[in-house]
Amino acid sequence: MTNGWADLQNAKVFLIEGSNAAENHVMSMRWIRKAQQKGAKIIHVDPRFNRTSSIADIYARIRPGADIAFLSAVINHVLSNRLYDEEYVKLHTNALFVANEAFGFDEGVFSGYDHEKHKYDQSSWGVQVDAAKKPVKAKSLDDPRCVFAKLKAHFARYTPEVAEQVSGVPARQVVEIAETFAKNRPGTILYALGMTQHTVGIQNIRCYGILQMLLGNIGVAGGGVNALRGEPNVQGACDMSVLNGYMFGYLNYPSHNEPTLKDWTRNNGTFRQKMTVNGLKAWFGENATPENDFGFGLLPKKSAKKDYSVYGMIDAAYAGTLKLLWVNGQNPMVTNPNLGYVHEALSKLDMLVVQELWDTETASFWQRPGSDPKAIQTEVLLLPGAYFMEKEGTISGSGRMVQWRYQAVKPPGQAKTDLEILDAVFRRVRKLYEGSTDPKDAPILKGTWGYAPGSLAEDVLKEISGRVLRDVTLPDGKVLKAGDYVGGIGQLQADGSTSSGVWIYAGIFGGGKNLSKRRDSADKSGIGFYKDFAWSWPGNMKILYNRASCDASGKPWPNAIPIVAWDETEKKWKGKDTPDVPDPLKGPDTPEGQRAFRMNAEGVGRLIAGPFKSYKAPADELPVDVSYVPKDGPIPEHYEPVESPVPNVLHPAQQNNPALKYPRVKAKQPIGTAKDFPYVLMTSSVSEHWCAGSTTRNVPWLNELVPEPMCELPEALAAKLTVKTGDRVKVSSARGAVTVKAVVTKRMQVMRIAGQDVPVVWMPYNWGFKGLSTGPSTNDLTIDAVDPGASTQETKACLVNVVRAEETVARR
Amino acid sequence: MNVSRRGWLKLAAGGTAGLALAELGLGPSEARAATKGLKLEGAKEFTTACNFCSCGCGMVAHVKDGQLVNLEGDPDHVINFGALCSKGAAMKATHDSPQRVRAPRYRAPGSDRWVEISWDEAYEKLAAKLKAVREATWTATEKDQDKDGKEVEYPVNRTDAIGLLGGAQHTNEECYVFNKMGRLFGTSFVEHQARL
Ligand code: SF4
Repeated sequence: MTNGWADLQNAKVFLIEGSNAAENHVMSMRWIRKAQQKGAKIIHVDPRFNRTSSIADIYARIRPGADIAFLSAVINHVLSNRLYDEEYVKLHTNALFVANEAFGFDEGVFSGYDHEKHKYDQSSWGVQVDAAKKPVKAKSLDDPRCVFAKLKAHFARYTPEVAEQVSGVPARQVVEIAETFAKNRPGTILYALGMTQHTVGIQNIRCYGILQMLLGNIGVAGGGVNALRGEPNVQGACDMSVLNGYMFGYLNYPSHNEPTLKDWTRNNGTFRQKMTVNGLKAWFGENATPENDFGFGLLPKKSAKKDYSVYGMIDAAYAGTLKLLWVNGQNPMVTNPNLGYVHEALSKLDMLVVQELWDTETASFWQRPGSDPKAIQTEVLLLPGAYFMEKEGTISGSGRMVQWRYQAVKPPGQAKTDLEILDAVFRRVRKLYEGSTDPKDAPILKGTWGYAPGSLAEDVLKEISGRVLRDVTLPDGKVLKAGDYVGGIGQLQADGSTSSGVWIYAGIFGGGKNLSKRRDSADKSGIGFYKDFAWSWPGNMKILYNRASCDASGKPWPNAIPIVAWDETEKKWKGKDTPDVPDPLKGPDTPEGQRAFRMNAEGVGRLIAGPFKSYKAPADELPVDVSYVPKDGPIPEHYEPVESPVPNVLHPAQQNNPALKYPRVKAKQPIGTAKDFPYVLMTSSVSEHWCAGSTTRNVPWLNELVPEPMCELPEALAAKLTVKTGDRVKVSSARGAVTVKAVVTKRMQVMRIAGQDVPVVWMPYNWGFKGLSTGPSTNDLTIDAVDPGASTQETKACLVNVVRAEETVARR
Repeated sequence: MNVSRRGWLKLAAGGTAGLALAELGLGPSEARAATKGLKLEGAKEFTTACNFCSCGCGMVAHVKDGQLVNLEGDPDHVINFGALCSKGAAMKATHDSPQRVRAPRYRAPGSDRWVEISWDEAYEKLAAKLKAVREATWTATEKDQDKDGKEVEYPVNRTDAIGLLGGAQHTNEECYVFNKMGRLFGTSFVEHQARL
């Protein structure tokens, strides 16, 4: 989330699309309802009428996988009716930058597309730069060469009527939503997996970024783009870089063709290099020196040509190259799509290790109904871990608030805390390599690993936060003493005199105090910042990009709640929140004082996202910062899901995302067509069961509330199939089939898309063959095509057939 | 001394957790008076947070004689102020559930059953396998063309045969160590359920 849970109370309008917040992020409603009581409007856009829809002022039914068509029409309405915030757009975005002349878009593909490799050369997506390597700026938004003009031209094709044709949202409702959202500010956007689990997931969210920047809704209280994340510590796991592509907190993991820190810096900039040095010092301590590139050579380098995502993992297991898989509190035999293939892949491993609370479908994959354990040669270890009340440590919720949890009780039986298990395994392996001089073993022997048994979690948190390793004198004369804990990102040094395992968490142990333990719940801000309760990254900041809440002179925009401002007498940025500026002492009259989006090389928000590097001096070899560019386009464009019942009406020749590669493993990844599988299936959780259900399906009272999976059908489809609620139906896709009970409702509907009837059905995916409540896994049906940039699977839209099952059971 | 339930929770949960009433500087009689009518008399309190969705609702765990006797919404938590949803409210049942795995288990190749093993055996098997896989699959260099089209042999020092998966159910500290360990072992297959 750019903002936080309690900040939702400050919004005047909510666009909730791709989330059933009322059922799946229940506590968000506490704050949304507060805003609603003060008159805020709630817009809910979803294929299924659910409990979030029921409290919304406007509910719009949308076809799964058609969000870009709808949102582009909203953006188009804002652009063509001048509903955008012109001052904000000119100041805080790249709207005035002059686009590259070679930039273009034709028949569904952007310039630079390689049809054979399904890949873009992104160079034409950037902006023109002058001799100082700074972007050339147009005088007005009407200049046809500028980014804003290109944006307008791109979205002009998305009329409300086109949106209706593609997404099923009636044209008049598209306009009503655009007007309501644009005219009530600040407005916030909430989304969850309904938006990300698509082969256009990144571009779905890009629509939100663009819309919110146009409306001046980023960086302000009550605004933002807020991801309601799926898992309790999915935010923290990402922050800690348990992701193949990152290290030390969202720093790009090095590839084979970046053998030195300098090679890496060429692609990432010196700002991030500094953070990497701090990470390397945390990992390798004394063994990281300027002479040895701070131990950069000790990091394994991934191949830039391979896919290391969880889907690459499954493909590698199936190919027989992945030998040992260690699964820690995850249950892919329920949650991965295309489960039949996942099962075959796991069966080819030499060893599977599952660290868990329960005996799950993954741990016992060899017991899967229909499979023969004798034929599965995989060794399996099941290591009993501890649940949250049985161990201590921090988690980071969606709002980036890092809170400490105390250990209340011991884990049951011989179960151990997961940190103990990981620590013990690492020490064992290190012991096996003791005395080795083989370079391949150097990282294991040279890595820092001295967490004390009695205070494992806090010792690790100290390493994450960072230490002062040699005395440092800061620019303001303040001296940091060796042995101190770093107080924040601003204190981190590029020369190895400080360390921080995850730079965005620098300072959580500032002053030697564990700030995640703070418990002051008084609302001193009056707007729900609760700055003395726990600690939020970065630097206890509550609203990211909050410099954008001010105008060029550093004063809050007239209608915004003041959260930060430039104080002319004290000569510094200050306010209720930690100012999001490169340097709190550099005012609006300096370039630093105008970088509201300082993590972009451009320093401003990017309406069109192309390549850009910033340099301190034009002749410098290494950039300071390098901007990220989505693989599949600089601006969103509607593409159909891999399995779709309709043609792409915008460009029939380019049906799907051009950067998509699917199938990856032809024999195992069939693509169904509407001829055999005429209905669209969307999947999600229910309020009572969570994710794989490994935990919730072992809680009797939750099983009583929702005892089994089901397929929810629109009445018109049910009538055609002569199915009524409680009957058993067989749902099948190109990948598998399951039999479940039917639930016939008005919540699902047959939609009218591109002139044809498209029935949409829904199933929860939380079941499997283990636990107290067992049932078929919906992911036997779903497709494992993934977003080209994020590798998120398209579990929100695939094609199925539904027929009456032979046997029927009596109504419950 | 008159301490309301809410005030009491605040006192007991603030700062260091796990304080019994007597440790709050209240005399025994005052403590008894304060807890009169409370079912959880004498229980120690620990603050924690829910482990289902990413709202991060605060909870208070009550522990008596080492047993978890109650788990409820934390009235002084800035996200939920005491409330919990149906899942969060059901959390207590997970700690002492008979379904929990209580000892390490092993399933041999081709076997149709689990056998319980000791931690020592489990660690031994895993550490030996990690080493064996590294030895058998190590890639020291990777050949590729540089940007001028020249063939280069890059040092890569990795194995693509070990995968680490999971983290969103765990603490930041566990995630950090899991990732660090994986990278030190030499694998790039480090992932978790970020997409679920
Ligand atoms: S109690 Fe419910 S809303 Fe709160 S964190 Fe747990 S699952 Fe989420």
